[in-house]
Amino acid sequence: MIDLIGRDRPDFVLLSSLLVLFAIGMATIYSASTVISESGLFGKQLIWSVFGLAAFLVGSMVSFRRLEEISPVAYVFISILLLATLFIGKGPADRWIIIGPIHLQPSEAAKAGLILVTAWWLSSLKVRPRKFGEALVFITIIPAIMLTAVQPDLGTAVSMLLIVLAMFVWAGYGLGWIILLVSPVLAAVSSMDILFWVGFVLILSVILYRRRYPVPIWIAFIGGNSIVAALTPTAWNMLEPYQQSRLITFLNPANDPHGSGWNIIQSEVAVGSGGLSGQGFLQGAQKELAFLPARHTDFVFSVWAEETGFIGCVILLTAFLILFWRIIIAARKSVNPFNSLVTAGVGAYIGIHVFVNIGMTLGIMPVTGLPLPFISYGGSQLVVVLFLLGLVLNAGMYWREV
Amino acid sequence: MFRDKKQWSFVAYLLTVLVLFLVLGVRLFYLQIVRGDYYRSLSSQNHIRIITRPAPRGLISDRNGVVLADSRPSFIVTAVPSEFDSLNIVQVASLLNMQVDALSEILSEASSVPHRPVVLRESMSVEEVSSIAENIYRIPGVLIDVAPLRRYHRAEDFCHVIGYVGLADDPESFRGEITGRTGIELSLNGTLQGNPGLHREVVDAMGRIVEEYRGTESEEPVPGKNVVLTLDAELQRTAFENIGKTGLPGAVVIMNYRNGDILCAASSPSFDTNMFSRGITQDEWNALLQNPENPLYCRAWAASYPPASTFKIITAYWLIAEDLIDEKTMPAPCYGSLTLGDTEFGCWRAHGRMNVIQALAQSCDVFFYRTSQLGSLNELAEYAGFFGLGSRLTEVLTDERNGLVPDSDYLNSTYGPDGWGLGNLLNVSIGQGELLTTPLQMAAMTGVIASSGRMPLPRILLHEEERDPLFPVGAIDDFAFDIVIEGMLQTVVSRKGTLNRVFLDYPWDFWGKTGTAECSGENHAIVVGFTREPEPVVICVIIEHGGHGGSIAGPLARDILLSYFEGSD
Repeated sequence: MIDLIGRDRPDFVLLSSLLVLFAIGMATIYSASTVISESGLFGKQLIWSVFGLAAFLVGSMVSFRRLEEISPVAYVFISILLLATLFIGKGPADRWIIIGPIHLQPSEAAKAGLILVTAWWLSSLKVRPRKFGEALVFITIIPAIMLTAVQPDLGTAVSMLLIVLAMFVWAGYGLGWIILLVSPVLAAVSSMDILFWVGFVLILSVILYRRRYPVPIWIAFIGGNSIVAALTPTAWNMLEPYQQSRLITFLNPANDPHGSGWNIIQSEVAVGSGGLSGQGFLQGAQKELAFLPARHTDFVFSVWAEETGFIGCVILLTAFLILFWRIIIAARKSVNPFNSLVTAGVGAYIGIHVFVNIGMTLGIMPVTGLPLPFISYGGSQLVVVLFLLGLVLNAGMYWREV
Repeated sequence: MFRDKKQWSFVAYLLTVLVLFLVLGVRLFYLQIVRGDYYRSLSSQNHIRIITRPAPRGLISDRNGVVLADSRPSFIVTAVPSEFDSLNIVQVASLLNMQVDALSEILSEASSVPHRPVVLRESMSVEEVSSIAENIYRIPGVLIDVAPLRRYHRAEDFCHVIGYVGLADDPESFRGEITGRTGIELSLNGTLQGNPGLHREVVDAMGRIVEEYRGTESEEPVPGKNVVLTLDAELQRTAFENIGKTGLPGAVVIMNYRNGDILCAASSPSFDTNMFSRGITQDEWNALLQNPENPLYCRAWAASYPPASTFKIITAYWLIAEDLIDEKTMPAPCYGSLTLGDTEFGCWRAHGRMNVIQALAQSCDVFFYRTSQLGSLNELAEYAGFFGLGSRLTEVLTDERNGLVPDSDYLNSTYGPDGWGLGNLLNVSIGQGELLTTPLQMAAMTGVIASSGRMPLPRILLHEEERDPLFPVGAIDDFAFDIVIEGMLQTVVSRKGTLNRVFLDYPWDFWGKTGTAECSGENHAIVVGFTREPEPVVICVIIEHGGHGGSIAGPLARDILLSYFEGSD
């Protein structure tokens, strides 16, 4: 089908939503940086934007076939970087690799690597199905997720897992599959209560029965998950105290009004005080008084919400929605499973990050430290996201290529 | 399978994201539109609070390094009336171990300035404050601050010199600020207190600290400087205890007449300045105020007495220096009194005929009545001024009094030009009349004699430079000094001297002069004197209502000096 190679014009709707989001991001970082002693943040972000633009162009022009070939290599390389971060990591929570003036956050690149390697695996399974191929995909991605989780960056690890699961869905796997794949996580959660556990085992049995699996698979799933459930309390104790507190705080914010729950409350105050039309650009009082924690990174949305109000928030959410819509349009168009899966993975990335980050600032999601794509300050994140969106644009333009 | 399911996946993706975004939108609508006003009011109540951290107050020590005043950690609990919820008052009262009534009274008095924190309880120990510290987040508007508690060692000995501190209450002061109220604590407050640190915090509507404000740098407190006094703590204690033995109010001042160091300035009765550090109660304060012996009052320099016969050393110096008499001049004998017009000026006994040395030694009034008529009152007043009388001798001692040396201007304004006459001169010549001096001035005038006019002005800060001579250089007449010094020696050694038996077992030479200040009730007993060996010191002892100077003040001076010199060997 080589003769089908053709070329569409770039998706201008996607490009315009991207431009709107980027502009909102720069404006908000400018506003946030007016009160932070590091007033150079805006300038740094501008410089990062140049790198981001380059990454975008590379992503939009790269050959998907080449990309598919190098995906496993890229994934291995990024996993090594993640491993290195554990030993030479610097900066906040030791999540950074510092090479001269450049500060890299490998866990951001790891998300791109995961999307690529998962797409590679799943598309190759389309061509040549293997026994337990899906399990192999999981075994492949586990190292990167585990390395991220032990950094410790539980939020990013969970978001990685969710992106991979979304790609499974895109590849056509049903709910039963997904439940089987994430059964260790469900086992851990259900271990809190015997009733949950019984229900979980029941559901698992139904899925296994309907798929007519042989006995050894039954033993593997039920037995393996029982071990996970039994070990969960031990694992809980191995979590960092701040992670435990974050989880507990999410379950009951009033429990800890002065700790991490406090950040959420202050963020809610900032968002809520925005009202319909906001307090005006650069006029945010919460931001001004340094009430907002991490107001240029994790809580950047609160600054935007405080200063532009409900109207500004709706504009931002609409821009993200349009972006997401155009991404999955491109994913649907793509003939090549790899291209399609990469694009869908980027869509999942955007959707999960936007919901988790904004949900956190609104107090309906736990504090995880996931950035808001295009808006949060951070070079690694911007470059990676723009590279991925370059791929999306690319896939939308060369959708006939197989 | 992949292509077939793509449409399903597309719908699943889009629906999932639509639902999630709808959740965000609804939440935003709730926060910003439904509850927007509430959050806006919360946001407007967040503010920056500036916390001032007290600097450690400097130490005060004596000349040998004995610490007389230092600080120990303590806490104060304050409340901001505007932030305090009166529903919490019972809980706060029990946590502070206070009466509910007392607490509500403090708060209602403070409610006129609702944003200014009011002190609920001060000088609390770590143990006392811990129960409220554990609950502070449940009680908006209540604050705990570190306020070092001033601690005085030998408080009774030094209360008048060092003074005390209290919580500052002027509008510029910060919570828990301590300021000097009397004594050295007051006059050197600027040196001792240092500079407080400034710390900016962002607090929310409920007064809880959110984080440190990053707009402006915090300033660290600069500790106050230490102060070293010229006083000797052991000598001070000896003197204080010796006055106490008499059971009468009194003062002792001892100075080194070579360099002007004040070695001892004891005043009795005294009080415990630590009462003020921990917050004096109304009852304790009333007791101090109503005590008839007035313990708050520093008798060493805030009280002035007639110098009585001790003043004769000045009169004698004046007469000789002005060549009105010489050492051989013998006026008409003393028959026990002198009648001038229709006024009789008494002497304490009939002394007969004598020269100036004998008149000093036996303290004959009539000798000075007769001789001082040769000069004028203003001349004598000028000489008294040369000896430091009539004006303050230090700048550091805020409660030091001027005393009074009457001259013609003073008498004219008091009695009118015709209301006074030669009698006033006669009274002044023997240290009575309107003349008033502080014990510090009496010690200084004796020091001028002892040093033949070379003594510097008194100082109380050890590291201060030696001050200028008290006595004007042009007025020095060494011969006159020698005569007066001889008279003071004869006071002690001659058979008829007023101190003749007092210093019998005293191993060094002592030059002295007694005085008996007339007052209502028993007279005040005064002794001034100096010794050259083993140390050049001058002493002034005054015992209120102690009777004759030689009989009570003299032995006291001897005992104090003996234990000082023997102790310092």
